[in-house]
Amino acid sequence: MSVIPVRLGPAETKLIEQLHAVGASAEAERLAAIGLPTRRVEAYHYTDLKLLLRAVPELAEASSVTDESALSISGAFRLGIANGQVQAHGAAPAGVIVGHTKGGVLTTRDDVVTRLNGAFTTDALTLDLTGTVGPVIQIDRRVEGRAGHSTSSARIFVGDGGSAVIVEVYSGSDEAHLSNHATFLQVGKGATVTHITVNLMSAKATHFATSEYMLGEDANLRTLVINAGAAVSRTQVFPRFAGAGAHADVTGLNLVSDGQHADITMDALHAVPGTSSKPLFKSIARGRSKAVVQGRLVVARDAQKTDAKLMSQGLMLSDEAEILVKPELEIYADDVVCGHGSTCGQLDDDHLFYLVSRGISKPEAETMLVRAFLAELIDPIEDEALNAALTGVIEGWLAKG
Amino acid sequence: MTTPMLEIRDLHVRIAEREILKGVNLVVPKGEVHAIMGRNGSGKSTLSYVLAGKDDYEITSGEVLLDGVNILEMEPSERAVAGLFLAFQYPIEIPGVATMTFLKAALNATRKGRGEDDISTPDFMRAVKEAGAQLNIDSDMLKRALNVGFSGGEKKRAEILQMALLKPKMCVLDETDSGLDIDALQVVSKGVNALRDGTRSMLVITHYQRLLNHIVPDVVHVFSDGKVVESGPKELALELEAKGYAGFDGEKAA
Repeated sequence: MSVIPVRLGPAETKLIEQLHAVGASAEAERLAAIGLPTRRVEAYHYTDLKLLLRAVPELAEASSVTDESALSISGAFRLGIANGQVQAHGAAPAGVIVGHTKGGVLTTRDDVVTRLNGAFTTDALTLDLTGTVGPVIQIDRRVEGRAGHSTSSARIFVGDGGSAVIVEVYSGSDEAHLSNHATFLQVGKGATVTHITVNLMSAKATHFATSEYMLGEDANLRTLVINAGAAVSRTQVFPRFAGAGAHADVTGLNLVSDGQHADITMDALHAVPGTSSKPLFKSIARGRSKAVVQGRLVVARDAQKTDAKLMSQGLMLSDEAEILVKPELEIYADDVVCGHGSTCGQLDDDHLFYLVSRGISKPEAETMLVRAFLAELIDPIEDEALNAALTGVIEGWLAKG
Repeated sequence: MTTPMLEIRDLHVRIAEREILKGVNLVVPKGEVHAIMGRNGSGKSTLSYVLAGKDDYEITSGEVLLDGVNILEMEPSERAVAGLFLAFQYPIEIPGVATMTFLKAALNATRKGRGEDDISTPDFMRAVKEAGAQLNIDSDMLKRALNVGFSGGEKKRAEILQMALLKPKMCVLDETDSGLDIDALQVVSKGVNALRDGTRSMLVITHYQRLLNHIVPDVVHVFSDGKVVESGPKELALELEAKGYAGFDGEKAA
């Protein structure tokens, strides 16, 4: 087999140089050999990194900003990672042990974003949660100062029978950062977890985030990705259903405006019998923008009685917006219920007419219908302060319209 | 002479290349209830949508004056604020929009148009409760998303509830009787009749005489092939029921 040498661009060259600088030579050589993924790589079909990642800034310098948060959630227990460094924090609530450890996330996934995160991350936040954790746990991941390349990682373990609500907020100074964050979250037997990630990066930034989940027996997980920031963003969600009876509502929302490209890519593995998932992704695109949703459901040969339904819905608020959706089902078991659906369109004219015929102005009616479109994602968030904070993110985005 | 509540002058309307309304002339004085009767496809519903401002139609000529003001250039929301209300033949289901949120938004929009402040939440709750009681609308129904999962009767009652809250000057009721059993028809009619106050005007569109036993009109207009072909007192409805539409427009029944 002949290997065609890859022509490397300035972003790749810089990444290779940085990988060598941190001693990750094997990763550097690997990247030099294959380059960043292009549209020919199926998992990056709509998010061609070779094309979209034009420049890589210098590795971010250490920072110790602790009191900045892009999202205020009253009553939350706050943790911070700034420019890759785990920050000091207040007293942890009952059932929460905070620590940090060397290295990135515990993953073996062959994905360039995850590999780069693993190679660059030196300091990982660890969270051990037991029992019912009362307050919402908020992890602020910030990239501070001038444009920098920053990675961070968190490993979260929720014990058997425990319950917790965890929110991660990605933000930073208004610069052309390259951020790459990772989370590994293990949901113990019978545990109930809500994990929300909110991308509020600068509109100049490129942002990557990966959340990998391991679900134990009868574990119940709800996830919500909100991509509202960054010029280019890709949030990857990798749930693995490893215990019978595990269920996950994997949800996500791309909010893109002029000049933005946001991608939510899910790759779910139903590994054992009797697990279920309900992935639901929504995108709202306005101006000249692009929203991408890729969802792959893999059902292993032994994973009989898997029940998985993948849905993607898009709302286009301009003629120049693009919403690209790719569902994939890869099923090796023969006794399963799996399906996918996708809709994409504009606001319903009949709905709009009904509202305006009652005196509600057109802009207000449109806002009501957009909120209605998103209600399915936000309504299940039971914590009132958190629900209000997320609603605020959405309202803020709508108001900028 | 006082200004009529609604005056339609030589209204011509088309969809694509087909003319639907072919010169409608109609005057509804203040405080009166007029009925429009006509067979299916005669253009009755088109007339109601054109009055409310739906933009699927091309108005080629004519005028529509609401209390002396031409509304054809106004946005649908402005017409509603000016006091026009269309009770839909098929009220739209809107998942994700809470009924109460919608009612409050509509009420505040019309109040704002009249230069009034937003209604306070307790006042709003009270107003909805009072209007709802008359129409057998319970709080369970109001907790649901707008019209979602409502039965045909519930949808029509919800329309009348909106009418009672928004207090329009001119109500257009498009086939409000369709899909109603006799009990529901009585509830709805009672609700409509309660809104007759000597000033508010109504245009009741139907193709059955039945509704007009409950909502007794001052004047009946017979509508055929895109225009009014006959107008007369309420007895005209009975005559129409006896002779059929063919007795008025000479066409065979569709």
